[in-house]
Amino acid sequence: MRRSGSGRRLLAVLLFGLAGCAGIPDTVRSLPDEDIAVELVDTPFFAQDRYQCGPAALATALVASDAKVSLEGIERKVYIPGRKGSLQFEMLAATRTSDRMPYLLDKSLAAIVAELEAGRPVVVLQNLGLSWIPRWHYAVVVGIDGNDDRVVLRSGTDSRRITPIDLFLRTWARSDFWAMSVIRPGEMPAIVDRARYFDAVVGLEQAGMAESAALAWQAALDAWPDNPTALFGLGNARLILEDYAAAEEAYLAMLAVRPGFAAAHNNLAFTLAKQGRFQAALEEISRGLEQATDQLLVDELIDTRAMIELELKNTAEGLRPTD
Amino acid sequence: MLLRKSRLFVLQLVSVALICTGLVQVSWAGAIGTEQIIESDARATSIERIDALLAREDVASQLQEYGVDPAVIEARVRGLTTAELLALENRLDQQVAGGDALAVIGIVFLVLLILELVGVTDIFKSI
Repeated sequence: MRRSGSGRRLLAVLLFGLAGCAGIPDTVRSLPDEDIAVELVDTPFFAQDRYQCGPAALATALVASDAKVSLEGIERKVYIPGRKGSLQFEMLAATRTSDRMPYLLDKSLAAIVAELEAGRPVVVLQNLGLSWIPRWHYAVVVGIDGNDDRVVLRSGTDSRRITPIDLFLRTWARSDFWAMSVIRPGEMPAIVDRARYFDAVVGLEQAGMAESAALAWQAALDAWPDNPTALFGLGNARLILEDYAAAEEAYLAMLAVRPGFAAAHNNLAFTLAKQGRFQAALEEISRGLEQATDQLLVDELIDTRAMIELELKNTAEGLRPTD
Repeated sequence: MLLRKSRLFVLQLVSVALICTGLVQVSWAGAIGTEQIIESDARATSIERIDALLAREDVASQLQEYGVDPAVIEARVRGLTTAELLALENRLDQQVAGGDALAVIGIVFLVLLILELVGVTDIFKSI
């Protein structure tokens, strides 16, 4: 009798502990439709070796998006042997260098469902230990079923792990609901936050994936026509690709919606100089200097002018014999 | 002789590497990266979009019906931080899921939503 009494107390403590963890906000938990049932059965599966859940999960999502990658290639990019794991930062970086755009989802099951319905599995970071003995784990959500109360995951060595929704939410909550979708450049996330989308595209630009960035900015312009940031970004992507005529067109379109935007005058001047149109380039610098209020921008414009004048001088000297 | 040859090869390799990095830098250095403009422009774009909504005749007359001066809303919109502005715009976007705001949710609702989001009313406590 005594034993069962203390057992009951233990059970009560355990239940209380679980209840304490279950403080999941309704905004995270609620499904768009209680009867929702979606599963991407064709999602590939890569069984992980020991600690390498990061590479396995990322390879799953990348291959599902038709990226030309191998598990070994992804391992080299994200796995840190000393840490026996991967950082979220590296997961994002490896996605970019695989010609895909990582997009961090809203912190909600509904956001995962929306991505699944768009045909994209979702990489999540879970903590399968206790909050004070962490065991971080990346897995891929491939299905959610509201009726049967379950989340279907590609996880570890389990090609189809089924977890009750509440248990999934508790393990996911400890990463502050980190969830990432792998977007083919040119496609839009199912639920899109414009600022976050722009940050994602800038990530592509900074990773040197100009072709992908150009596609992503073009998609932004389809969603938000004449958006100046997207026009400027498209100009930059074209500039990196050395497609100067297209870059010029984008900067001009940006200046049409944002007259006097000094940074666009600067980059347009740069683009014109690249095409050998030095006088027009110098005029753009002057227009930029008339408008620029920020000292950093003024400095950039002056630097660009110096560069244009140098190239003008070099070209003039080079051309003299034929002039 | 062999040593000289391999040294020459290394030198060639290094110079090729230098030329390559040099080329990459030339094509892009001097231009301003998108991340440097993104915040200031995101703010301007958001304000523009909300102003355009407020400038519509049907929206303005609806506001009048509620006894709210559109200028008050405009001033409040400018007082929001960039993060708040983007959140407001995003909320508007999500309400209509990419469609035309007025066609989908109707002017009355839209006006009430704007009033709520800039803090003039608190009808939609849950939004």
